[in-house]
Amino acid sequence: MTTETTTTPAAAPAAGTPLLEARDVVMRFGGLTAVGGVDLTVNTGEIIGLIGPNGAGKTTFFNCLTGLYVPTEGQVRYQGQLLPPTPHKVTQAGMARTFQNIRLFHNMTVLENVLVGRHTRTKEGIVSAILRGPGYRREEAESRAKALELLEFVGLADKRDMLARNLPYGEQRKLEIARAMASEPGLLLLDEPTAGMNPQETRATEELVFAIRDRGMAVLVIEHDMRFIFNLCDRVAVLVQGKKLVEGDAQTVQSDERVIAAYLGTPMDGAEAGTESTTSTEENQ
Amino acid sequence: MHELPQNLANGLFLGAMYGLIAVGYTMVYGIIQLINFAHGEIFMTGAFGALAVYSKLGANVSIWLALPLMIVGGVATATLVAVLAERFAYRPLRNAPRLAPLITAIGLSIFLQQLVWGFPGNKSARVFPQLPGGPFHLGSVVFQSADIFVVVAAVLSTLFLAYFVRSTRTGRAMQATAQDPDTAKLMGIDTDKVIVIAFAIGAVFAAIAGISSGLRYGQIEYNMGFLNGLFAFTAAVLGGIGNIYGAMLGGLVLGLAQTLSAAYIQYIPGMSQFGSQDWSGVWAFVILILVLMFRPQGLLGERVADRA
Repeated sequence: MTTETTTTPAAAPAAGTPLLEARDVVMRFGGLTAVGGVDLTVNTGEIIGLIGPNGAGKTTFFNCLTGLYVPTEGQVRYQGQLLPPTPHKVTQAGMARTFQNIRLFHNMTVLENVLVGRHTRTKEGIVSAILRGPGYRREEAESRAKALELLEFVGLADKRDMLARNLPYGEQRKLEIARAMASEPGLLLLDEPTAGMNPQETRATEELVFAIRDRGMAVLVIEHDMRFIFNLCDRVAVLVQGKKLVEGDAQTVQSDERVIAAYLGTPMDGAEAGTESTTSTEENQ
Repeated sequence: MHELPQNLANGLFLGAMYGLIAVGYTMVYGIIQLINFAHGEIFMTGAFGALAVYSKLGANVSIWLALPLMIVGGVATATLVAVLAERFAYRPLRNAPRLAPLITAIGLSIFLQQLVWGFPGNKSARVFPQLPGGPFHLGSVVFQSADIFVVVAAVLSTLFLAYFVRSTRTGRAMQATAQDPDTAKLMGIDTDKVIVIAFAIGAVFAAIAGISSGLRYGQIEYNMGFLNGLFAFTAAVLGGIGNIYGAMLGGLVLGLAQTLSAAYIQYIPGMSQFGSQDWSGVWAFVILILVLMFRPQGLLGERVADRA
């Protein structure tokens, strides 16, 4: 496994130790094998990309990692611990995610959305909340401060009291990221964070993902935008028809003939197209 | 229009009680889209729980000392029944088609009625203790201690619930679960716990309503939850099911509609035979139908599309 020479993030503890280890994950729906035995390791301080044609099983794989689906076979470990197949426990363990189609709590404000994300990191009981004990108030204030800091980080602080559904599209994506970060994950999973964005917004998201990594979070990202992925990721894994085809740095993946074949069909006339990254960028819508 | 203030007051007292029960329907519906038809029986078990505590205490204990204990007993009984119902009747059907839990709810309703009926001495109405004091006069309006109890209970409960849902961590988790349970789970919320809390809060409110009903009418019966539950469900729909303020408002509108129709319809020329107490239920449902014709989402409800 080629770990590229990345600028080691300041906050990450001992960059390079395995954070997420998925071993031989299989997900079958009846007779359909959506994910057929995928291995993937994410180390601390890494940004890993997951690409593949539509229907390759990328989102299904994400759902297996986050406990939304119970994998038919295989294991998912986070920091060496086997993950329980219960979404809220996965979040508690330290993995948080965003969604391909935005799934905010539309009728709550921007700030409230982020506060919901903090749910596992706060623990006030019902009784102390009703009595408004000092512990409750301190925790609530702390939570608010952290949530606001995150909104500042993604650039939504001045919209904190707007209803989430009234945000423009790009900002809804940012809010999803802030909400996921609110649970203080060690690993953030982004499912197509730039879908539907224009080039400037995509660039800004790129910067945001680097900034997230510099805060000490590892990132696993699904994307169709090849330029985005190859700029960003330390390693890229290619999923085709539920199987991992290639994994490696941007160079390796871009020049791999099997990847090109998977995206463009089997080439009739040599591997000419494979050397240019632009080819793969264009084909994505 | 003689005795209008009195009739308005009576409608308010009745409506406050409906509102307290309706909150339980609306909270459970808001979170898991289940119409908990056994909720009327939760209301009934609350009243019987309170009466059981009173019987244990003996008749020579002052009612003012007994009342808080009765409230504790009633609330505990109703909450226990509701939580057990959620755990063993509804949770196994969480992913079943919606008709399955609905039928279960109806079955549970009958089961609970018959269970209480089966206890010796419960075949007919039981005498419920009365609050001393009163009648009080306010202008031309006369009311009893029990009426004060139900109004104060309704106001306090609603204020508490509004605070709880809007400004606590658990309340936020509840809103999040109502809007999108799957995402809520992925944000670290234990939605099973949230659902239990919703059932429990509904049961607390229903138990208080059950005690109010006992105090106001002086008796309770194993089947008291059937009609009251149906009216409260109507109130929840009227106010916009899923909305807790709507439940209270719907309760008040329904209570007023019943009292006022019983008092005044008979004075409309040609309608004299439709005005008695027996017809008040009919008029309540006429109001429901009219409201739903023009506002299908209920008075304070959201459009269904918003919840998706």
